[in-house]
Amino acid sequence: MYTQFLGNYLLQRGIVNQEQLFKAMSRLSQTHIKLGTIAIKEGLMTAKEVDECLYVQSREDKRFGEIAVERGYLTNDQVNELLSLQTPDYILLGQNLVEDNVFSYEDLERILFEYQNDTELYDLSLDVENQETIAAIIKKFFLLAEMPVNETNVMYLELMFNSLIRFVGEDFSPLTPMVLDEYPITFGVSQAISNNNDYLTHIDCDRDTAIAFASRYANEEFTEFDEYVIAALEDFLNLHNGLFIVNVSNNTSETIALAPPEITMEGVLSGPNKCVDFPVAYPFGTIHLIICY
Amino acid sequence: MDITGKKILVCDDSVLARKQLMDAVKEVSDGAVFIEGKNGSEAIELYKTEKPDLVFMDIVMPEKDGNAALSEIREFDKDATIIIVSSVGTQEQLKKAIQLGAKDFIQKPFEKNQIKEIIELRLGGKN
Repeated sequence: MYTQFLGNYLLQRGIVNQEQLFKAMSRLSQTHIKLGTIAIKEGLMTAKEVDECLYVQSREDKRFGEIAVERGYLTNDQVNELLSLQTPDYILLGQNLVEDNVFSYEDLERILFEYQNDTELYDLSLDVENQETIAAIIKKFFLLAEMPVNETNVMYLELMFNSLIRFVGEDFSPLTPMVLDEYPITFGVSQAISNNNDYLTHIDCDRDTAIAFASRYANEEFTEFDEYVIAALEDFLNLHNGLFIVNVSNNTSETIALAPPEITMEGVLSGPNKCVDFPVAYPFGTIHLIICY
Repeated sequence: MDITGKKILVCDDSVLARKQLMDAVKEVSDGAVFIEGKNGSEAIELYKTEKPDLVFMDIVMPEKDGNAALSEIREFDKDATIIIVSSVGTQEQLKKAIQLGAKDFIQKPFEKNQIKEIIELRLGGKN
């Protein structure tokens, strides 16, 4: 999930635009991490040293590791150690953006340093996503949205990001959440959750986005906005909310109930307090997860 | 496997879920007759009139949920073969479904192989 958060970080700071981000994200599964990138991440080489080795590599038929050892930047043991490391996708995302000339290795070094400080990722074992760190990043989303930070809220959003990764695809970036008094509906599906408090959850998007979203979710090629597309959005929200209530009922003694999902084609969403829009951008469009509480 | 003429009742409030389940069955073997229901009340009604050989049923449905329908169908026919297909269900709901006589439980989103196994197991020896 760090990749999605890094994407959000880069967008928020205007370092990349959505087009550049999705282009880089779309290649995550096909590209491999380069030794130079991971050496920067591990703090064994500076960006300048990596650039120098890459320049030499473009003129000589040698491996990057060989050149780095010759120039005294790495030892053979370090090269072997780096080669055996598992690298998380968010580093790969940074590398893809360098390859796309969005920024340089030197920028990447600085961005990763700042990102890791900001999200307290620096102690992280590279191949394991740390539950507490994820929760901390998600808490920041709630603070941004001026929404109460509690265990249930954090669990809900974390599960939503996981559900999106699992059922729709990992190539998304959460955008900055917005607090609203009311939300005008484009098209969407609503579902009420009741426990100690009542929440109205809603997924909203335009019709083209709904078709693309449904195609991915159902693993079928939908071409028009029809009953199957609508049902796919209903199923997704129902599935996600269902997983949420199972988690809550398994972890706490709270009684929690889920109303059947409802299709909403127009109107305005509002709650007794506020509605929060958590937009999530995919290459095919942006979907809005709205929670009114 | 020949399941020609076998009646399969698919009860789910989601039109997509019904389609995906029927598509999965058709991939295993063609020829089954499908009956579709959108809620628990329809499932009971359709079971009584159509007497299907196999029922796939969701738990969370409007009007009457899957467990209530399961219970009434089993009262009507204690040999009813009902498979619960649900994306969610609290452990309590699942336990209740088994106690009420559900023959199996499939978690959504399901793998086509799971449907194949159910068809082979539940309809394979019924020719």
